[in-house]
Amino acid sequence: MQMNDSQRIPASKQEVWAALNDPEILKQCIPGCQSLDMSSPTEMTATVVFKVGPVKATFGGKVTLSDLDPPNSYRISGEGSGGVAGFAKGGALVRLESEAPDITVLHYDVDAQIGGKLAQLGARLIDSTARKLAAEFFKSFGEVVGKNVAAGV
Amino acid sequence: MNDMTPTREQREAKLEGMGCKRKRVEDIRFTQGKGNYVDDVKLPGMLHGDFVRSPHAHARVKKIDDTEALKVPGVLAVITAETLKTVNLAWMPTLAGDVQMVLADGKVLFQNQEVAFVVATDRYAADDGINKVVVEYEPLPPLIDPFKAMDKDAPVLREDLAGKTTGAHGPRKHHNHIFEWTVGDKDLTDAAFRKAEVTFKEMISYHRTHPSPLETCQCVCSFDKIRGELTIWGTFQAPHVIRTVVALIAKLPEQKIHVISPDIGGGFGNKVGAYPGYICAAVASIVTGKPVKWVEDRIENLTATSFARDYHMTTEIASTKEGKVTGLRVHVLADHGAFDACADPSKWPAGFFNIVTGSYDFPTAHLSVDGIYTNKAPGGVAYRCSFRVTEAAYCIERAMDILAQKLGMDPAELRLKNFIKPEQFPYHSALGWEYDSGDYATAMKKAMETVKYSELRKEQSALREAFKRGETREIMGVGVSFFTEIVGAGPSKNCDILGIAMFDSCEIRLHPTGAGIARVGSKSQGQGHETTWAQIIATEIGIPADDIMVEEGNTDTAPYGLGTYGSRSTPVAGAAIAMAARKIKAKAQMIAAYKLEVHEDDLEWDIDGFRVKGLPEKTMSMKDICWAAYNSVPPGMEPGLEAVSYYDPPNMTYPFGAYICVMNIDVDTGVYKVRRFYALDDCGTRINPMIIEGQVHGGLTEAFAIAMGQEIRYDADGNVVTGSFMDFFMPTAVETPHWETDFTVTPSPHHPIGAKGVGESPNVGGVPAFSNAVNDAFSFLGSTHIQMPHDYWRNWKAAKDLGAVA
Repeated sequence: MQMNDSQRIPASKQEVWAALNDPEILKQCIPGCQSLDMSSPTEMTATVVFKVGPVKATFGGKVTLSDLDPPNSYRISGEGSGGVAGFAKGGALVRLESEAPDITVLHYDVDAQIGGKLAQLGARLIDSTARKLAAEFFKSFGEVVGKNVAAGV
Repeated sequence: MNDMTPTREQREAKLEGMGCKRKRVEDIRFTQGKGNYVDDVKLPGMLHGDFVRSPHAHARVKKIDDTEALKVPGVLAVITAETLKTVNLAWMPTLAGDVQMVLADGKVLFQNQEVAFVVATDRYAADDGINKVVVEYEPLPPLIDPFKAMDKDAPVLREDLAGKTTGAHGPRKHHNHIFEWTVGDKDLTDAAFRKAEVTFKEMISYHRTHPSPLETCQCVCSFDKIRGELTIWGTFQAPHVIRTVVALIAKLPEQKIHVISPDIGGGFGNKVGAYPGYICAAVASIVTGKPVKWVEDRIENLTATSFARDYHMTTEIASTKEGKVTGLRVHVLADHGAFDACADPSKWPAGFFNIVTGSYDFPTAHLSVDGIYTNKAPGGVAYRCSFRVTEAAYCIERAMDILAQKLGMDPAELRLKNFIKPEQFPYHSALGWEYDSGDYATAMKKAMETVKYSELRKEQSALREAFKRGETREIMGVGVSFFTEIVGAGPSKNCDILGIAMFDSCEIRLHPTGAGIARVGSKSQGQGHETTWAQIIATEIGIPADDIMVEEGNTDTAPYGLGTYGSRSTPVAGAAIAMAARKIKAKAQMIAAYKLEVHEDDLEWDIDGFRVKGLPEKTMSMKDICWAAYNSVPPGMEPGLEAVSYYDPPNMTYPFGAYICVMNIDVDTGVYKVRRFYALDDCGTRINPMIIEGQVHGGLTEAFAIAMGQEIRYDADGNVVTGSFMDFFMPTAVETPHWETDFTVTPSPHHPIGAKGVGESPNVGGVPAFSNAVNDAFSFLGSTHIQMPHDYWRNWKAAKDLGAVA
C-alpha cells in the first residue's frame, strides 16, 4: 500500500529537521505510541498500540532513520510484530521544502505492508486506517512543531 | 378377506420405499437441537489444543520460544515440529502422494500455517498460551501468482524436494512444479485445429474458493495407555480411510484404533483430508494420556484446511462454420498451494477433469494439466462435486457459449447440435470415459419450453435496443448450462485411495420381529442417509423404512467403506445396500418356500412378502419370514437373516441436467437480480424426491455463492483477504434466489436400482449457468469472457471497461 501527501508547517526547515530527529516529539505524534527509546542517533525501539477494525494489538519493534540528508530529507522506517495479530512494516520518505523562512512544506511518501490476522480481518479497513494514521501523524507533527516554535521552545 | 385387509396401495404406502417423499428421520433430532456433533463430545479430564499460526506467507522459522507460554496458568505443553520429530510425525503423507508439514519445520509456506500446538486445560488458556509463544521469522519473497510459479527466478518453495526431478505423478519440470498430466490424442487434435474453419482460445479461470461447512473441522483424540487403544471422534467424511491412515503413519495396530464420525454439520469435501489438527491432538493425547480436543475456528477453516478449485484453464475449440465441434484442447494451470493435498483417487492428479468434453460429441480432444506450488494453503478438494468435475463443467459450458458468440449462434441451439445422441450410449468420450446413459436433447428441450426460451431471447433483444437508445441502464442475460457429471468413484480397475479400491459396503441384520439395522460404509453429513438408505431396503425387501435403523460412521461396527464425497454414496453404497438386501431376499425366499411347502420357483415377490404363483391368498410376509428365520429354517440352513455386500461398481454414473438462469444487471451499480433459475436434473432413479429437491436447493445456493462472489483471495504479500464471513460471501435466505426444480429420469443401466447420484449436480451445473448469464448480459457490449466471481464491483468494473459506464 502506498500513499503520499504533504503538510505545511509554520516553522523553519532547520526547526522541522530537528523535530524529525527528536524522539520525544516523534513519540507524541505517532498514533498509539506508548514508548520510543533511542538506542543510537538513527535507531529507536518503539511500542505502539495499533487498531484495525476488530483487532487491537500492541506492536513492539524498531524504528530506523536512514538516507539522512540534513536538513532536507530522510527515510524513517519501522518494523514490528504484534504476536498473533500479525506484523507491520513500512516506511516514509520525508522531504522538506522551504516555502518561506518560517514556513516549511513536509512531503511524505509512505509505503506500508501489513500481514497476519490484522490483514485478514481488517482487509477492507486497512487502506483507510493506514491513510488515517499517516495523516494523523503528520498533522499532529505539524501542530506540535508549529506550537513549539511559536512558544519559543 | 375382510374389510380390514389393507389394499395393495396401503401396503405399498406403509413401506415408504423408493419414490416416497419420506420426511427425514434425522431431522427429528436436528430440529430439536439434539444432534450429537464432535464438539458435543466432552470427556472427563479433556484437554484443548490450538495452533500458533504463521502471519507470513513465506518465511524461515528462526526460533520458537515457548518459555512465557508455559508459564500461562493451564498451559501444559507446546508441541513443535521438533517434538513431532521424536515420533517421526513432523511430516505426513498426503492423499495425492506428496508430503505435508504437520508443524512448520524450518519454514512456513502459507499464511496461517500451523507452527506450534498449545495444549491446555481449556480453550481460553490455550489461546492465552498462543499469545505468549514468540516465533522469530525471517520473511522470504512470497509466490502468489500461479502464472509466475515456473519462472526461472521464482522463489524455491519446497526445499525438502530439492533435487527431486520425479514426483508421485511423473517428472517435475521446475522446482515449483508438481506434475504434468496429459490425456487424449495430441496429434489428432492438433490436426483437427489445423483443418478447422473456426477456432478460439480463451483463458477461463475458476477461482479459489472454500467449501466452508458451518461446522468446522474438529476432533477429540483419546488414548488409553493401558489398552494401547486410540479413539478418535472427528468430522470425517471417510472414517475408515482415516483409521487406515492413522494406522500407517502412527504405526498403531489398526484394530486398536476406533474412529467415530458422529453427526456432521456439512462437509462438502472439506472433511475428506487429514489435517495437522488431527495428528497434533492424537500425539498430545498419547503424550499426556488424556483426551485432547481440537476445534477449528472460522478463520482457521477458511484459511488453512482444504480450499477448492483454483484452476486456470486455457481452452480452445475447433468447429465448422455451421457449429459442429471437431476438437477440444485444454491446458490447465492448477494451483495446489504449498503442498499437494488434493483429495482425489490416487491415480488421478487432476481428478476426473477429463470429463471436460462434457455432453458433446467431440471427435478428438487433448488435455494437459500442470500442477504447481504457491505460497497458499494446500488442498484442492471436490467442493460439492466429483473430483475436479465442476471445474471441467464450468470450462466446457463457458467455452460453448464463447463458441456460440463467435459463430453468431444461439448457445442452446449450439448445444442441441452437438449433444451426444441417445443411441450413442454407452458412449466412449475422446478423453477416455464410457458414459452409461443419457437423453440430453429431451432434457434441454424441456428446459427451454418451460422457461419459454425464445420469448426470453426476444425480450433480451428489445432490452438491448432500449439500452442502446439510452432508455434503460439495465442489461439482461440468459445463462444456459448443460452439464454431464461423472460420479460414483469408483471401479477398482481405475480408482483407489492409497491403494484401497473405492468400493463401498453395507451390512443388514433383520431381527426376529421384522425390524432391522443397516450399517453402511458411507457417512452422511446432511445428505439424509438415515432416511434414504432405509427406503432402498424397504422397496427391496418389504420391511417398512420406519423399521430399519441406519447406522454409519463407527469403524468398529460399520463395514469398511470409502466414505461420502464425490456423489459416490448412492452410486456405490446405495448399490451395496440393494445387493445386501437382495441376498437377504434370496434367503427369505427359501424360508418362505419351506414354510409354504412349495418350490422356491413357485413363489413371486409381492410388495412386502412372497405369494404362491396362481394362489394369491397363499402368502408369507417378510415380517413373518423374519420370525421364521430365527426358529424354523429349512433343514441344513443356518438360522438368522443377515447379509453383507461389498460393491465394486462396474462403471461410474453420469447424471446430467439442463439449467437456465435469467438475470438483469444494473450497469451503474453492478447490482444483479436473478429473475428466474430453472434446474432440471436427471439423476436416474429417484429414491426420495423431497431429499433430491433439498439437495438441489442447497447445491444451487452454493453455486450462486461461488459464481457471484465467494472467493479465497490473496493479496500480493500472501495475506488471505477473505478470511471471515464478513468478506467471504456466504449467502443467507436474504440473498438467495428462488429455485425452480424439475427432472427427467434416465436410469443408469449398470446400477442395481438405476440411481446416479444428485447431491453435487447443482453445484456443478449451477456455476456455469450463473456465469453464462452474466457473460451473456455483457456480450452485446463487446466482451467475450469475464472472470468469476461476478460480484457487484466486478460487474460495475466490466461495464466500465466496456465503455457502458462513464
